[in-house]
Amino acid sequence: MGERKATVAAEVGLHARPAATFVQTAMKAPMDISVAKVTGGQRVNGKSILQIMALDVRQGETIVITAEGEGAEEVLDQLASIASTP
Amino acid sequence: MTTVLAPVEGAAVGLAAVPDPVFSAGMVGPGTAIDPLRGPGKAVAPIAGKIMKLHPHAYVIVGDDGKGVLVHLGIDTVQLKGKGFQLLAAEGDRVSAGQPVVSWDPAAIEAGGRSPVCPVVALDAVAGAVTDVARGAVHAGDELFRWT
Repeated sequence: MGERKATVAAEVGLHARPAATFVQTAMKAPMDISVAKVTGGQRVNGKSILQIMALDVRQGETIVITAEGEGAEEVLDQLASIASTP
Repeated sequence: MTTVLAPVEGAAVGLAAVPDPVFSAGMVGPGTAIDPLRGPGKAVAPIAGKIMKLHPHAYVIVGDDGKGVLVHLGIDTVQLKGKGFQLLAAEGDRVSAGQPVVSWDPAAIEAGGRSPVCPVVALDAVAGAVTDVARGAVHAGDELFRWT
């Protein structure tokens, strides 16, 4: 299973704009995408903006993004890049 | 079916009128936006449910059926760090549709150089799921759109 860690750089955290960009990209991927905080706790569906907002990732917090299957590495790179964009 | 109410008084102008490409392109979700009446006012819950997320400048209410509606009070208003907003409820509270959540002043937001326009968005909804979208003058608590 592929995994990437990314530290959220946006001032708002992984909310409104960064969350929308993240979910839009995740939606295009054929496989399931899950997201959790590196500190543990709930693991949510990376294709749901509601669940991503509920996860409440703040600026400076690190998330773990998980995906499996063909093309997963590329998708994970894209998602990690979005999450770590200020 | 969920009936989503206008959170603020003003003119329903559609998401395309929002000066933020992520909202105007519907990337956050389908819905509409309200150009609010300038002057002190209270933003209310668009649906009944639990306040899943409450920032001074934005909130998400999730109904018992799991549908979440985002209300964003102005654009780039996160930069105000809560200044000019007063919370009238708390995260995790259960609210009825139309119950006040945040008091604010769109005129002050505009005077600070930001757009006070309020996107009201159905989260995780497909574009066709939002119908009967109001246009023009609305009062807080009026029907704004339906979500099937």
